[in-house]
Amino acid sequence: MRLPAGGFNLLLVVAIIWSALSTPEIGALTGFGAGIGMDLSQTSPGPMGHWTLVLIMICYGVAFLGYGDDNIRGNPINVVLLTTAGVVLSQVAFLILGLMLGQQIGSIGNLIFLLAGSAFWTAIISPLIIKVISYLHANIFGSRAQL
Amino acid sequence: MRYGGDNRGRLLIIVLVVTTLFLITLDLRGVQVISGLRTGTQTALTPVQKAGSWVVSPLRNFLSDVTHLGRTRNKIAKLQAENDQLRLTLQDRKVADAQLGQLKGVLNLAGTAGYKIVNAKVISQGSSTSFTQTLTIDAGTSSGVQENMTVLSGYGLVGVVKYAYSHSALVQLASDPAFRIGARIAGSQQIGILSGQGTRKGVLQLLDNTTTIHKGDALLARGSDNGRPFVPGVPIGEVTSVNNSPGAVTQTADVKFYTNFSTLGVVAVVVSGASADPRDALVPPKPHPTPLPTVTIYATPGAVAPSPTATK
Repeated sequence: MRLPAGGFNLLLVVAIIWSALSTPEIGALTGFGAGIGMDLSQTSPGPMGHWTLVLIMICYGVAFLGYGDDNIRGNPINVVLLTTAGVVLSQVAFLILGLMLGQQIGSIGNLIFLLAGSAFWTAIISPLIIKVISYLHANIFGSRAQL
Repeated sequence: MRYGGDNRGRLLIIVLVVTTLFLITLDLRGVQVISGLRTGTQTALTPVQKAGSWVVSPLRNFLSDVTHLGRTRNKIAKLQAENDQLRLTLQDRKVADAQLGQLKGVLNLAGTAGYKIVNAKVISQGSSTSFTQTLTIDAGTSSGVQENMTVLSGYGLVGVVKYAYSHSALVQLASDPAFRIGARIAGSQQIGILSGQGTRKGVLQLLDNTTTIHKGDALLARGSDNGRPFVPGVPIGEVTSVNNSPGAVTQTADVKFYTNFSTLGVVAVVVSGASADPRDALVPPKPHPTPLPTVTIYATPGAVAPSPTATK
């Protein structure tokens, strides 16, 4: 289903929230798994590994920023902000890597519109699912990271 | 620094990045295993997509109505007047009627040109997260659909089949930034290359800078060898503005596609082109202004009340 302004990617949002609650190593592994899943989609224009490379870096970075800092991991608002920034950054990184690989990206105005839409929808969706992800994360890795 | 990392962590990152670069290299070199993985995934997910499309269709219709509220105010006012009469059958009939209308349009277009087509329903629209414009249809190789076939709506070009699976196919929309098509202007037969921009607007680049192009000119597909990927004569869009920079090497123009890609429900895949080029036969007729009714009132001296007479 296509939402106005491009909508959001649930797999991307979940992966970045999960990374924000995890250690950097788990974050990188999460990015690897989510990236493979997105690369397997036929709508992905790039080669296999395009999204994977981007998400390894972004999820590692998000986990690195949040690890050991309870001001970020203990506050849902900070996790939502970190997730929104992570989603937009990952899409920008995807575009830049795509340009380096010779892909067409369309008009700049449309890209900015889609990035703004993605940030908007991520900021809307993240608070709705963060509790569920936090609960699952706490059950798997212990209760220390639960919000 | 909250986290300094350790050797094991660094090793993990290096292993993951090297694995990814290895995958990218394999895919760019065209290794069949990678494309086979994607094909297998899509084949396995097709039934899930169909079920998902059926489940979310009421919500999708609702959102579509909300987003088109400003543009369809007159239509909504008319529908509200008929609401009581249609209340019982509205939800199901609305979807069915829209698809029937689109199907009639496609059949009219294909019948005029003499194309042999396979009709298909749109079962999902591709995510724009990767900045691509695609949709998935419920007809595949089992119905005769192959890669690089033209896809039509009742208004004209939709796109081209990018991948065909047994019971579904992925269509690259004409609005995709990577989409290119050779186009000619109806009437003058000037040729150029039209490229998608990620929106309903495309950009036409003329090959000959000495020719002229005007706002309102209709664009048609030039066609490819053996009608693949594009059959000739398919309406593409209409020129909305011309960029006549004196220093420009080539002349460009903005084009609005005839097809509204966000409301597609039924499309047709051209499995066999016409025996002869339909030339300009498929150019949609220009809209005619509806004459406004005029009212003349004759006043007779001494009469009690004037009687209005409406004439066209």
